[in-house]
Amino acid sequence: MRKTLTIFAAATAIASGAAVLQLKITVQNKVDNVKEIARQIKQDREAIRVLEAEWAYLTTPQVLQDRSIRFLALMPPRAKQIIADPSLIPFRPKGLEVEAGEGVLLPAAQKELKSSKEKKSKQTEGQTL
Amino acid sequence: MNTVSAYHNMTTETHRRSAIEIARNRLMIGVVLFCFAFLIMIGRTIELGVSAPKPRVTATRQVVTVPEVQIARADIVDRNGEILATNLETASLYAVPKDIKDPQEAARQLVSILPELSYADVEAKLSSGKKFVWLKRKLTPRQKWEVNAIGEPAFQFEREEERIYPHGRLAAHVLGYVDVDGNGLGGVEHFFDAKLGDKSRTSEQLQLSLDIRVQYALADELQAAMRAYQAIGGAGLVMDVSTGEVIAMVSLPDYDPNNVRGVADTEKFNRATKGVYELGSTFKTFTFANALDDGVVSMEDGYDATKPLRISRFLIRDDHPKERYLTVPEIFTFSSNIGTAQMALDIGTERQQEFLGELGLLQPANVELTEVGAPLVPPVWRKSSTMTISYGHGLAVSPLQLASGISAMVNGGRLMTPTLVHNPENWQTGKQVIAPDTSRKIRQLLRMAVTKGTGGRADAVGYRVGGKTGTAEKAIAGGYARKKLISSFMGVFPMDDPQYAVFALLDEPKGTKETFGYRSGGWVAAPVVRNVILRSAPLLGVSPKQEDAGLYQDVALLIEDKKKK
Repeated sequence: MRKTLTIFAAATAIASGAAVLQLKITVQNKVDNVKEIARQIKQDREAIRVLEAEWAYLTTPQVLQDRSIRFLALMPPRAKQIIADPSLIPFRPKGLEVEAGEGVLLPAAQKELKSSKEKKSKQTEGQTL
Repeated sequence: MNTVSAYHNMTTETHRRSAIEIARNRLMIGVVLFCFAFLIMIGRTIELGVSAPKPRVTATRQVVTVPEVQIARADIVDRNGEILATNLETASLYAVPKDIKDPQEAARQLVSILPELSYADVEAKLSSGKKFVWLKRKLTPRQKWEVNAIGEPAFQFEREEERIYPHGRLAAHVLGYVDVDGNGLGGVEHFFDAKLGDKSRTSEQLQLSLDIRVQYALADELQAAMRAYQAIGGAGLVMDVSTGEVIAMVSLPDYDPNNVRGVADTEKFNRATKGVYELGSTFKTFTFANALDDGVVSMEDGYDATKPLRISRFLIRDDHPKERYLTVPEIFTFSSNIGTAQMALDIGTERQQEFLGELGLLQPANVELTEVGAPLVPPVWRKSSTMTISYGHGLAVSPLQLASGISAMVNGGRLMTPTLVHNPENWQTGKQVIAPDTSRKIRQLLRMAVTKGTGGRADAVGYRVGGKTGTAEKAIAGGYARKKLISSFMGVFPMDDPQYAVFALLDEPKGTKETFGYRSGGWVAAPVVRNVILRSAPLLGVSPKQEDAGLYQDVALLIEDKKKK
């Protein structure tokens, strides 16, 4: 009885010791991993700074203009070619017509348009009556 | 029995004694142990009583933070976040000459990679036997790689940072430049030097009000005009009239801030803020605003402009003489000096001075640059000064001051402090200088000057441009040089709801065949403004539209156009 208890205690102690050691090693590995990732992030951020500067250098308007003249047949737009109000474009898909209601939110502009339409229809109704 | 018992007694006696002794000895061990334990406890108690309480030791979470990217100087970006100036890591090359076995060979190899170094110089440095000698600062990554490839252990690198301006010459005068140690020496680099170089705030970007795309459109057009008319210089500005933010600022000739070695002072000179010029007829806008705002004249009034005016030693002539009675809108549209001068006399010298002072045209401009020129004000403000200043001669101001003044004339009368920093709240710095009603009249006059008057070449179709030409003879010692002009154009668009002011100035332009030899503002500067507006209006979100002619009808009726005759 006594002997088994001792053996059991010893085994438990060894097992828990091993488990703690295992845990510690795992945590250490994870920490190393995270540190490595943090270092990598820093390196990437530094690289991004360089790339951003390079991007700015490569896309400076002067360069874009030269490229455009060389490779594209584009001209600056004339006033006539610019449409300020996109609704003037014919056959432009308007998207799904959805009624405003609970759980259906419409953009403010669309809502106004709807309500003004309703008002108008009501007014015309009133006139016919 | 007695002896036996005695013996027995005796043995039991000794037995008992030794047993007691043993027990006592054993007990003593326990007592000593207990005493020892108690001593420890006493000691510990005293220690706890004496010492300060220690924080509880618990397992701490290991927090790994990403190290900040260390930069020595904050970035500068434009209003859209485009990088205008940034610090990048570079390497500077130094050598440890005492470790070099063969200085000649090392020098030869190094010079083949860095041709800007002289062989004799490098060789002398490398054979000096010193412990440390700089060879070249700020190598490109490629050069660094090549130097490493030599395989000479005595060549070593020091990490350094270099200020890079990816857009090169673009906006050079606004940005300024830094010295080799990263101290700002010009432009906003100098003005915000303390803020940009503050080690704890280098992650905060400085956002300027510039829009690099508009900046390029302006620089490109101005450069083209400067070349076409062989001007010695040029200046340009685009300003948001409702906030006073500077969207673009160009001064030509310019320089590359990445390499300021050997740049002449004339190139570093910022004509848009430091240069002060007598800007000519654009000033009439202020005279008219003053007269209309004070009720000195109304739109229906007029002045006689049949003959040149003589005042002391000046003879005031018109560049486009009509030789008749002119209404107020006509004086503005045809840019009559005679009419404007008479109007200024009606306003009076003191009031004119006060008005121009209110517009900030008599003090240096208040802007985030140290290169700001003080206006040249006549020492004594005589009657003749009043008359000449009314049409822009005799008072020299910087283009920036003019632009902010004109912005106030058209935006409803609020004068904003011009700013180079992105700040939509800047309108709060404004103060009312003329009535909104006067501002409306000025808009009409400016639009008429383009549709019917001298500024016709600035009319960008669809964008309702209004503006005023300015042509001034350059002041030289003892008078004016008739051959040397400052030609400028101050445009505003769209005129029905002014949003942006565009200014272009050319210094000493020469006429060409295309302009029939003319080199006045209407011929050389107005097309620049038109092209800039055509190019930048879509970027700035101003849409072209059909003009509402009714807005200008009343004024248009007061202008008798010679073309109709």
